[in-house]
Amino acid sequence: MAESAVEHAPAKKRSWYLESPWPEALLMVAVLIACYIALAFVSFGAETPPGGMTGGRIFMCLFGFFFLSFVIALVAVVAGIGGGVLFTPILLAFTSLDSIIVRATGLVVAMFSGLISTGPFMKGGLANLRICVFCAAAYGVGAFSGAQGALYVAKYLGATGEGLVRLALGGLLIALAFFFIVGGKKIEWPEVKKIDGFTKKLKLGLPYFEQSLGKVMHYPLTRSWQTLIAIVGVGMLSGFFGLGAGWAIVPVQNLIMAVPLKVAAANSGVLLGMGDCIAVWPYLLMGAIIPLFAAPWLVGQVLGGLVGAQILIKIKAGFVRLILIGIMFFTSFGLVCKGLNLLGVIGKVPVVLNGVVFLGIMIIVVRGVIKQIKSGG
Amino acid sequence: MEEKLRMPVSQRVYGQVIYWITVVAAIVCMVGPVIAMLSVDNNVMNPHYLFAEIFAGKSAAEIWQTVGGGFPGGHFYLKHPFTGDGISQFGLALGCGCAFPALIATAIGYLREKPKVYLYASLCIWVAFMVAVSAIGVVKSH
Repeated sequence: MAESAVEHAPAKKRSWYLESPWPEALLMVAVLIACYIALAFVSFGAETPPGGMTGGRIFMCLFGFFFLSFVIALVAVVAGIGGGVLFTPILLAFTSLDSIIVRATGLVVAMFSGLISTGPFMKGGLANLRICVFCAAAYGVGAFSGAQGALYVAKYLGATGEGLVRLALGGLLIALAFFFIVGGKKIEWPEVKKIDGFTKKLKLGLPYFEQSLGKVMHYPLTRSWQTLIAIVGVGMLSGFFGLGAGWAIVPVQNLIMAVPLKVAAANSGVLLGMGDCIAVWPYLLMGAIIPLFAAPWLVGQVLGGLVGAQILIKIKAGFVRLILIGIMFFTSFGLVCKGLNLLGVIGKVPVVLNGVVFLGIMIIVVRGVIKQIKSGG
Repeated sequence: MEEKLRMPVSQRVYGQVIYWITVVAAIVCMVGPVIAMLSVDNNVMNPHYLFAEIFAGKSAAEIWQTVGGGFPGGHFYLKHPFTGDGISQFGLALGCGCAFPALIATAIGYLREKPKVYLYASLCIWVAFMVAVSAIGVVKSH
């Protein structure tokens, strides 16, 4: 059924600046530059009311949020994960911002790089809408429940809840970093020995043109039921922690359903965008997403996601993964310390200790990167 | 001449609706903070106090209470459409709700394909329904 809907069309050639995404990307950059210049003039000249933050600091915050978000989106897209997995742990570990505000904004961060990449992935056929809609039906239920659970914990557990959430997220991040090191082996073209009856009836397959091979690829799929159950769990984690879930959705599709790796990665972005449209609303409706705080993060994700997707096509991303694992270990350390501090188990961690741990981790990462570059990875 | 696959209409429609709404949402969110700082008193929450409270580690409820006199509701941009934070909130809401029109358009696309794809049209409507329920705030566990 899906195959019959796919048509062959001759490729048209046009100037690069007329081809999407360049016209809209250039428009957004122009508006962005104009807005930040105006913002700088207005902010630095603004009078500061007693007890308020100065206009200059507000400008630095807004620009800093945008810039950090842009970098996070760039790294996350190139490394093939969602931005939330960097944003939420970093802000929870190294700032004293309220955890619900951070997790709510984390969902915005997680979903918008996925939303902006949806258009090109759908047009090119790298993402499969049938798989995305099928999984979103389950992901949405999980993510919505997770978001409601997070709001419940915040309401009834107070400071203890803040500490426990940071500890749990620290633990989850350590497990994730180890998974990336030892268990992150995915299969580019999974082999399907038997297609179950349920999956056959779903007709999920959609052929696409694989540019690196220069031919149209068909891929058989299997174990849809098991995938559905796993996706509910992934959605709950995503909604509760505001992490996004690209790190889990890709292996679930690839290892359980036998979706080719590149298709699974593209689907993951589309699915996050679709599913988090459900998870994000409980946060938005209870005021946990502060508009002026979240807006620059959204903009950074959209522009970073666009640029990251273009870079991804051209570079090998192996070493980015190592840097990411290093960041995850360091952030886990910060989260566990902050969590224990909030629970009153330990005192405030000295800056020197943070520096030593950061240095130690970065030395290991740099050695790994050098090793990978030497071996041509 | 190089031949490429043309994807089913439903798939292309979904991609295009999401993409363009996201671009518009991003542009609205670029403009919002500028308007907010241009006229700091013409906001639900004065940015000078708002950011001071955020970095003091206050909870969202406390911030809305002390700076804005209470949370005016998630769709407050309808009542304050020309304030800086109202515009930013509109941009956020637009982006966060973009799956709804995209899924409805996709469901129609599936029903216009030959043969009609009832299963995926229904799944699209189910997910769109979940987005709508979530956005309206009908279901709450707390």
